[in-house]
Amino acid sequence: MTDVFSVAGSAVAQSGLLPEGLNVSFKALPAVMVTAMLLLFLVIGYVFKVADTEGMWVAGRSIGNVENGMAIGANWMSAASYLGMAALIATSGFYGLSFVVGWSTGYFILLIFMAAQMRRFGKYTAPDFVGDRFNSDTARAIAAVTTFLIGFVYAIGQARGMGLVGLYIFGDIGLPGLSGYQSMVVLMMAITVGYLTLSGMLGATKNMAVQYVILILAFLSAVYVVGFVNGYSTVLPQIEYGAMFSQLASEFSEPFVNGGFYLWIATAFSLVVGTCGLPHVLVRFYTVENERTARWSTVWGLGFILLLYLGSPALAAFGTDLYAENIGPVYGDPGMTTAAGDVIVVLAAQLSNLPTWFVGLVAAGGIAAAIATVAGLFIAGSSAISHDIYANIINEDATQRQQVLVGRLSIVALGVITTLAALDPAAPIAALVSYAFSLAGAVLFPMFFLGLWWENTNRQGALAGMTTGLTIWAIPMINEVLPAYGFFSGATNANGVLSAAIAQWVPAIGSALVAVPIVFAVTIAVSLVTSEPDMETKKMVRQCHSPEPMRKQQSAEDAVSSDD
Amino acid sequence: MTDNDTQDTTDASTAEPDGGAVAGRRQSQESTDYLTSEVNLLQPSTPFMRDHLRVIWTGFVVWAVIVFGPVTATAVAPGVMTTTMPIIGFPLHYFLVAIGAPGGALILAFWYARKRDALDEKYGIDHGTDGGVSE
Repeated sequence: MTDVFSVAGSAVAQSGLLPEGLNVSFKALPAVMVTAMLLLFLVIGYVFKVADTEGMWVAGRSIGNVENGMAIGANWMSAASYLGMAALIATSGFYGLSFVVGWSTGYFILLIFMAAQMRRFGKYTAPDFVGDRFNSDTARAIAAVTTFLIGFVYAIGQARGMGLVGLYIFGDIGLPGLSGYQSMVVLMMAITVGYLTLSGMLGATKNMAVQYVILILAFLSAVYVVGFVNGYSTVLPQIEYGAMFSQLASEFSEPFVNGGFYLWIATAFSLVVGTCGLPHVLVRFYTVENERTARWSTVWGLGFILLLYLGSPALAAFGTDLYAENIGPVYGDPGMTTAAGDVIVVLAAQLSNLPTWFVGLVAAGGIAAAIATVAGLFIAGSSAISHDIYANIINEDATQRQQVLVGRLSIVALGVITTLAALDPAAPIAALVSYAFSLAGAVLFPMFFLGLWWENTNRQGALAGMTTGLTIWAIPMINEVLPAYGFFSGATNANGVLSAAIAQWVPAIGSALVAVPIVFAVTIAVSLVTSEPDMETKKMVRQCHSPEPMRKQQSAEDAVSSDD
Repeated sequence: MTDNDTQDTTDASTAEPDGGAVAGRRQSQESTDYLTSEVNLLQPSTPFMRDHLRVIWTGFVVWAVIVFGPVTATAVAPGVMTTTMPIIGFPLHYFLVAIGAPGGALILAFWYARKRDALDEKYGIDHGTDGGVSE
């Protein structure tokens, strides 16, 4: 599997073009639709623009159940869900389902172990939790840097998705010195960064609800219409595609041909713990009114997510069948390229001979999905820089104005480096995104989990644990991902990795399976041999679990100190 | 870093294995001070925590089975697991993984949120609209 990703990744990086079957040109009606949609996001961002940090980072803690559920859905469902998941299911068959499972069922773990407790902790950002819980600016800084890194790695996949889809709709806009795909990445990222710097979290949350509606309508219409016009399905395509298995190539459903049992479990596990460790996911619980809303909005969010996730395999099946009929064999050599896979959602609509405006609608959904997630990631990443590093460590007297300014500057910085990395991405969308999940799962998840559920976890334990997590995450990244970007190319073996054994047991895509137990053990062991945390900290943890209601703007820290 | 004066007596008394016997639950609720009761995933120290953790662990075990069960079964007994299902035509393993696991997680999530609301009611907790308390 590993070499499937890296080999295919370099092929895309070189061609940078969309597959045959999708013609790259300016398409008037879809272009108008996408432009109107982007303008709408800008207007909503402007209307809900913010000038204070409370609005910038946690939307004034004003968001309700269903709205937050939609925001969870939009924030969550990125280009990786909208485009990449169908791509993986189409190209890697049963292995691709580990993404469906990992990305959806993780929300249950988040719900039972963390959502309400995080809301009760009630600060601004995920690194805030780490810093305050473990009384350590170093821990806060590691968490903030990790958050920034996650935002960066994750957003590369989104930028790639936006670039591919944008290229299909607008054609080659021809920025000097750049290919058509690269020009589109630059344009799309510029728009996203523009609206984010303006609006902050409040505007982003309002936008996310709108973006969810657009993306889910677009995706469900694709599933239903493609299924209907080709005679695959009628009222319930999510189940009816079962009848197609007899006519699809066996690679589509046969277990463990594209990735063994171990890789399957490692991937699913990493995605589950990654879900529970992603700062831009956790911060959604800080934006709600109270802990009950935090719980129910998680249930709503999971329901909203499943509307897409149950349809994704169906659309992958339709797309695979259409591709085999119209273009060529999906599996084997040459098979479907990853670029074709990454736009198979759009490709399926195109191959069904649907009108251009409809294909444009499907494409617009992909852009909405990508923008919503980049919004969440960049807000989390920039708040890590501005709130956690700048205001808490560098300049403790920072005014709100300065913080918001630093926040905006870091959004721009994130935008620039993400754009640069996305010009020549090393892997398909979903693979890129899963590296960020492994990171969140290995470094942040154990801190959140132990920090909330074991009051004796202390600063030394957290620091040791996070360092261990970062190290274990870095090993496979150096081993198999950096070579795809051209580093160490002299030292790699035939599969393009430095060590085949490491690639097999600690795959970049699922390194959290190995990392999480080790990080837990290290954190617990170091906490046990060093002194217990002080009473104030313990009380803060207890306050997170107490069933007694808290006020809307109150954090566990306030509750504890007012109690004294 | 030592906290010599903090482990007070309440801690010890509420942490007794059967400290919150069923009959006395409501009364003990009124007197429970959550800030003095240790938080430990494996040793709940208050009646509320005990009840809550029972729900959490039940949910977690069911979750683990529906998420990792089908794929493990497929690795162990591929022949049985890949049989085609009647009517809907799915291979069994594909159906259980693609629809069973995510759908099961949603049902579990709903179940948990309901259970947790029921716990709130049992312990007389009202979140109201602004978080429940206006001090």
